[in-house]
Amino acid sequence: MDINTKKLKKNAFRVTKVRGMTASRIRVPGGHLDARYLGKIQEIAERFGNGTIHITSRQGFEIPGIPYEKMAEVNALLQPLIEGLDINQSEPGTGYPASGTRNITACIGNRVCPYACYDTTAFARRIEKAVFPNDLHFKIALTGCPNDCMKVRMHDFGIMGMTEPQFEPQRCVSCEACIDVCAKKSVTALKAVKYRPQRNEEKCIGCGECVLNCPNMAWTRSKEKYYRLTLMGRTGKKNPRLGEDFIKWGDEASIIKIILNTYDYVEKYIDRNAPGGKEHIGYIVDRTGFEEFKGWALKDVNLPAKARVFTPLYWQGIKY
Amino acid sequence: MGFKLSREAFDAVLQSWTDDYVLFAPKRFEQGGIYSDTDCIRYGQVQAVDEIVFDSKSLYSFKEALLPVSETLFFFTEETVKEADPPKKGAIIFLRSCDLHGLKRLDEIYLRNGPEDAYYRRLRDRVQFVLMGCPHSFENCFCVSMGTNQATDYAISVDVEGDGFLVDCKSEAWAERITPRAEAELDVTPRHVTENAVTVNIPETLTIQVASSRIWDEYDNRCIDCGRCNFVCPTCTCFTMQDLFYTENGRVGERRRIWASCMVDGFTDVAGGGSYRKKNGERMRFKVLHKVYDFKVRTGSHMCVGCGRCDDVCPEYISFSNSVNKLDQAMKEVSGR
Amino acid sequence: MTDNEYVPFLSKITEIIRHTDIEYTFRMTYDGDVKPGQFFEVSIPKYGEAPISVSGIGDGTVDLTIRKVGKVTNEVFEHTMGDHLFLRGPYGNGFDLDDYRGRELVVVAGGTGLSPVRGVVDHFARHPEEVKGMTLITGFKSPADILFFGDLARWKQSMEVILTVDCADDGDKPAACQIGLVTEHLPKVKLGDISRAVAIVVGPPAMMRFSVLGLLELGFAEKNIWISQERKMCCGIGKCGHCKIGDVYVCLDGPVFNYTKGRTLID
Ligand SMILES: Cc1cc2nc3c(=O)[nH]c(=O)nc-3n(C[C@H](O)[C@H](O)[C@H](O)COP(=O)(O)OP(=O)(O)OC[C@H]3O[C@@H](n4cnc5c(N)ncnc54)[C@H](O)[C@@H]3O)c2cc1C
Ligand code: SF4
Ligand code: SF4
Ligand code: FES
Repeated sequence: MDINTKKLKKNAFRVTKVRGMTASRIRVPGGHLDARYLGKIQEIAERFGNGTIHITSRQGFEIPGIPYEKMAEVNALLQPLIEGLDINQSEPGTGYPASGTRNITACIGNRVCPYACYDTTAFARRIEKAVFPNDLHFKIALTGCPNDCMKVRMHDFGIMGMTEPQFEPQRCVSCEACIDVCAKKSVTALKAVKYRPQRNEEKCIGCGECVLNCPNMAWTRSKEKYYRLTLMGRTGKKNPRLGEDFIKWGDEASIIKIILNTYDYVEKYIDRNAPGGKEHIGYIVDRTGFEEFKGWALKDVNLPAKARVFTPLYWQGIKY
Repeated sequence: MGFKLSREAFDAVLQSWTDDYVLFAPKRFEQGGIYSDTDCIRYGQVQAVDEIVFDSKSLYSFKEALLPVSETLFFFTEETVKEADPPKKGAIIFLRSCDLHGLKRLDEIYLRNGPEDAYYRRLRDRVQFVLMGCPHSFENCFCVSMGTNQATDYAISVDVEGDGFLVDCKSEAWAERITPRAEAELDVTPRHVTENAVTVNIPETLTIQVASSRIWDEYDNRCIDCGRCNFVCPTCTCFTMQDLFYTENGRVGERRRIWASCMVDGFTDVAGGGSYRKKNGERMRFKVLHKVYDFKVRTGSHMCVGCGRCDDVCPEYISFSNSVNKLDQAMKEVSGR
Repeated sequence: MTDNEYVPFLSKITEIIRHTDIEYTFRMTYDGDVKPGQFFEVSIPKYGEAPISVSGIGDGTVDLTIRKVGKVTNEVFEHTMGDHLFLRGPYGNGFDLDDYRGRELVVVAGGTGLSPVRGVVDHFARHPEEVKGMTLITGFKSPADILFFGDLARWKQSMEVILTVDCADDGDKPAACQIGLVTEHLPKVKLGDISRAVAIVVGPPAMMRFSVLGLLELGFAEKNIWISQERKMCCGIGKCGHCKIGDVYVCLDGPVFNYTKGRTLID
């Protein structure tokens, strides 16, 4: 058997423990898919794999027990899925391209969750369109609100939905439900001033609890959608750490631009001798210094007037 | 007098009103729902017929047009008070049959229960009502059970008919504006429903004894005392007064009233920390019996008009109509004791 | 004058009578009809309003006996003779003296409850011939809480007065004062024909409940007992809903209720 393992990895297959057997890795950007595709996945697992499927930690499916020689047939069967999920593909019928940049994951978002401030899957797919295929090791995740069910702070780029609460004083009945809930579940950004809530804009994290809890719709959501962008969280053997806030009240276009700029930055500064040519962005930033990174990241970015940039950033995390 | 009007013609009639009146109707607040990317249909000022939403029930009722959520009563200095000015224009309110019956309940409280309310009176006298016909019942409606499915006290009625409208006009002055624009004159009866999926049964034998039933207990935990059921209700009328001062040391300010809810904490608080109906089940009982028992004892008709908005809005899926339907069993329970 | 009930009028403080540190009677100018048991909304711009019972009716004046407990009442106490307060009212039904004329009358009052009923007591103290007999049982927490002490001495001349405090150090207690809850003194009331005797009970909720039970036990008919209810109030005119209990609005139909009605009121 003669197999180019470097090439197969970039085609979303894996070298497994079992000699002769690979596993097909199926990314689902934004973690949401039409139920009919599950039938396709089942078919591949039963025809070419060992009849089992692993649900991955990055919102994908991994089908183990596939003989290497079946890769082409598997790729052919994957084609409808790749098209249905709108994956950027260089040549039809050749399976998933590249596996460096990880699947862009998302919590269930506002398709279902009352707290979510936007459609996380749709945004994830727009980022997917902008960055894939790509060999660089980037982890990007999106979550609907500051509850961060997606654990985006453990990613290089964490995107958290925010809404800017709009207050219509004439509808307020002074029940203080918003003030109570903000104190109990969020950050105590509201206080009563002359019978009505006053919002501390500095403190407010845009979670929307006031909107959800106001019985008379005195609080509503802003038409504009806002995001918090957190940076350089990571797991792993060396210095795992949580992502730090970089931008608050950011917009979608700026976030996509910052991510793309970061690819340029990594291309320039990555340690080409790193094992497997892979290096977490965070370590590169540690090496070049945050200011250098920031210069690259914010190049040609037009943040909304409301946006706040936190700088410089320092990360904590576990050090051995 | 009945007419058929094109959409443009009806819009022209509507425009002719705007000199003297502000128009309130159910309209779509895009992205105005409490969840992201959702709309909200509720009352607001409209300028054109296209803004009016005919095919959904509004989440909140028309009452905010007549009884503002927050209304300044007067301005004061240390030793003088000056009544707040009324709005410059009158109002035309688009509403359905249940709500038009709701108006009678508001009148009962604000014009007859004790002395007249001067603020309500001065608005009420300058409001005209446009009945929106109901081709079908909406979710949670039980107007037929409450006898509010048909209304006649309107200035004009409107029903969507194809691309245009059918209108019944009871006001001569308005008929003059409509006649030249009408496509046809014909007899029009506003559409109304004759049955709802939801029905309620209010037992004839109901007495205040029912207060001691155990049916109320389940709401102690289910209800979160948010007050939404009161705020959306076309017949809830309670308010609280507040004094505002404009500067810290000065004594210049205003007294206003704002909507209040018998479900929300603080409604019965008295000095020294006392309060009544601490449990949410007791508040539910107080509300339900006000709507389908004691208001009738006082005035001869039930307060509830069966619009079902309380059921539409409750975040805990507590159904008012369902609680009413438990009263029969509850009466048996308490009279058996 | 406006027909807008919400707009208050100015009234001048002509006299202040201090009963305790936190309870004063404010004598206010007022020309108009008013009955004992009715109340005014005392209104202080910037602080709000407080319903206060009429505790006395004079020539061109009304007395308001106010306990200092919160926002509005604290501010009232900042005022002195010659100052003005805003008032609106009178509201509520008040006591109807005809209900008691020609009968034997027992008034049971706890604490500040004496103030709404003071007008009734004072009237029959001045016109003892209008009733067949009269007893006042009034209780306070401690000797320092006693209200209308001067009145009590005067009333004693034309009626039976039982003044009691819940507890007291003996040295402290005025000579004319007994110890124990008002209910303990009920059986001491001497009555000719209990079936025709009438009673008024005013005070804190628990005190009212037990006093009524005591009266019923003695043989009073339900229809011969009146109570005065206090509830949270805001408008005073049947609009705001705060004072509603069952099918009554305390501000309109009360605060005075015949017990046959009062009995049915469930908060
Ligand atoms: C019919 C009636 C007669 C009364 N007569 C007297 C009297 O003669 N003398 C006296 O001292 N007190 C009387 N009270 C009680 C008095 O109204 C309250 O103590 C007063 O409202 C407290 O107001 P505050 O702003 O000082 O206190 P806060 O505790 O600051 O009041 C806060 C709010 O609660 C409301 N509130 C508090 N307590 C009451 C209450 N008991 N009843 C209604 N609303 C209340 C007030 O309107 C205010 O909005 C009477 C109450 C009623 C209903
Ligand atoms: S929850 Fe709504 S009505 Fe209540 S205080 Fe807050 S803004 Fe006002
Ligand atoms: S019944 Fe529902 S809407 Fe009404 S107070 Fe309770 S939880 Fe809120
Ligand atoms: S105090 Fe407002 S209704 Fe009685």
